Amino acid sequence: MPWSLLWRHLLARPLRSLLTLGSLSIAFFLVCFLRSVVGALEAGVEAASQTRLIVQSAVSLFVNLPTSYQSKIEGAVGVASSCKLQWFGGYYQDPSNFFAQFAVDADRLLDIYPEIRLVDGDEPSFLRRRDACLIGADLATSFGWSVGDSIPIIGGLYTRVDGTPWQFYVAGTYRSTSPNVDGRTLWFHYEYLEQSLETGAAEGPQGAGVFVLSLDRGTDPTLVMGAIDGMFENGPQRVQTTTESEFQRQFVSMLGSVPTLLGSIGGGVLFAILLATLNTMLMAGRERTRSMGILKALGFKDRILFGLLIGESLVLCLLGGLAGVGVALATSKPLAGFFDGFGITGYGIDLGTAAFGLALAIAVGLFAGFAPAWTAARLRVVTALGAEH
Amino acid sequence: MSAAALNRDANRDADPGAPAALVRVEGVRRVYRRAGEGLVVLDGLDLEMERGGFFALMGPSGSGKTTLLNLIGGLDRPDGGEIYVDGEALSGLSDGELAAWRADTVGFIFQGFNLMPVLTAQQNVELPLLLTNLSRRERREHARHALSLVGLADRAKHRPRQLSGGQEQRVAIARALVSDPLLILADEPTGDLDRVSADQVLGLLSRLSKEFGKTILMVTHDPRAAEAAGSVVNLDKGRLRGIERRARTPVREPG
Repeated sequence: MPWSLLWRHLLARPLRSLLTLGSLSIAFFLVCFLRSVVGALEAGVEAASQTRLIVQSAVSLFVNLPTSYQSKIEGAVGVASSCKLQWFGGYYQDPSNFFAQFAVDADRLLDIYPEIRLVDGDEPSFLRRRDACLIGADLATSFGWSVGDSIPIIGGLYTRVDGTPWQFYVAGTYRSTSPNVDGRTLWFHYEYLEQSLETGAAEGPQGAGVFVLSLDRGTDPTLVMGAIDGMFENGPQRVQTTTESEFQRQFVSMLGSVPTLLGSIGGGVLFAILLATLNTMLMAGRERTRSMGILKALGFKDRILFGLLIGESLVLCLLGGLAGVGVALATSKPLAGFFDGFGITGYGIDLGTAAFGLALAIAVGLFAGFAPAWTAARLRVVTALGAEH
Repeated sequence: MSAAALNRDANRDADPGAPAALVRVEGVRRVYRRAGEGLVVLDGLDLEMERGGFFALMGPSGSGKTTLLNLIGGLDRPDGGEIYVDGEALSGLSDGELAAWRADTVGFIFQGFNLMPVLTAQQNVELPLLLTNLSRRERREHARHALSLVGLADRAKHRPRQLSGGQEQRVAIARALVSDPLLILADEPTGDLDRVSADQVLGLLSRLSKEFGKTILMVTHDPRAAEAAGSVVNLDKGRLRGIERRARTPVREPG
């Protein structure tokens, strides 16, 4: 196989090859990126606990429940523990520095979420101070925070009446052992929030967004869910109890059909690049008709010419694929941080996605190269030699 | 490639088992189909070309010269009849075998030079050798030697667009002879050249025939070019009108 010819043909029109390569790189980057985003959205659902339950308002996730419900819920048979979880919605210095903050029952957080592993600081320090918080280790690294720091957070949902930021004392940093618990969240005392509201130092909605429940070993979650929903059937506010995985699924579906949309965009990108590459290769094939005729006249067999053109298409697509997957891998970490800020954990280009991108590149290369390669192989020498350059 | 290697044909002449005629065309017929009608281009043509001969193929436009050249070179297949080259019946070869046979047996020179524009002169000359078992170094040496035979050793790194028409055709001649073929087929090799360049090309072909015993068939319209050949084959309306044997007129190679 005259490989040198393959390279020389690719380099014969450097601008066209470069532009095609650029388009391919962007397309394969997008395919890997979108696949990973969809994967991250679904990973939270898959990793979510089946035995941890979430109690929320039956009306909407945005309607808070009275805190008085907590003791009644804990009275249900099979419930081991419960924890308030209230969205805070603040940011650090600038709205672009957004990350998740939750007000929780501090003394129950680590029992309810064993996935949270402290890597610095300790639980007693967290419990000792009302303004203490635990923060994700990656979050701490991003902003240069460490244990003992006092960090100002500007309230979004809850504002201080004097206009000053909320101050939180960093009592510990953690890492999450599962994608269903965000590794870049700030957890702080619900009590701190509640007292600020009661004393009039701050304004914002009363109550708790959801209650997270852990169950006694061997308890049937379905029975507990039915019992809790039944308790408040005629209450001032009806509740809806679901498993954590179902809750996560609902949360993802709240994003509309985002995963489907992303999948469709990925498919569209792929189809567009397939047509573009096919067009490039058809043009290349047409331009080389006479060259193919010369090679045939010199004794090069049809299969060699077939290999030359399909090889050219493969090399082009593989280079584009490698570049696209390479960029996807290189940007994996910063993009993961970006998505964590939106509560989408687990973004990352794994080996499977990289292999998927490269396999697609090979498939596109074979598909786009087949038609011109087949035409070149079937070409009559005399006809080809008569073609214009 | 050495001068000794180029003398392969001359040695074959000494082989008593080798057929007397290198090319034998027997009752060859070629019909082109155009708009549902058959156009007879070659009509039962018979021809013999002895080894080492330099033949000019002449005739008016449409007489079937290029078609005959393509058929003898295995670029096309006849609708009837048979062509034997060195005793091998071409109709018995598959497409793949015919390609291999071309690589081994025939060197082509075209009017439009037909060099690969993306390759240098040396790489163009090396092309036929990619189909052999020669090492890269051997291929380079052979290509350099072929280029020096046509007087273009100093143009080895030039691309076709950096060469004059005459130089391009000389590169094409080097490519045609680098694999030491039995037969060289030239389709109006001087058609696109000025007189000086044409004489250089004809001088080279003459030398290949006389010094290296190559059998050459050259299609031409130019009577002056035909004078370089030892025999002139005249075609008209797809039929052989006669073969004129003549003493070759020496071609003066300029420069």
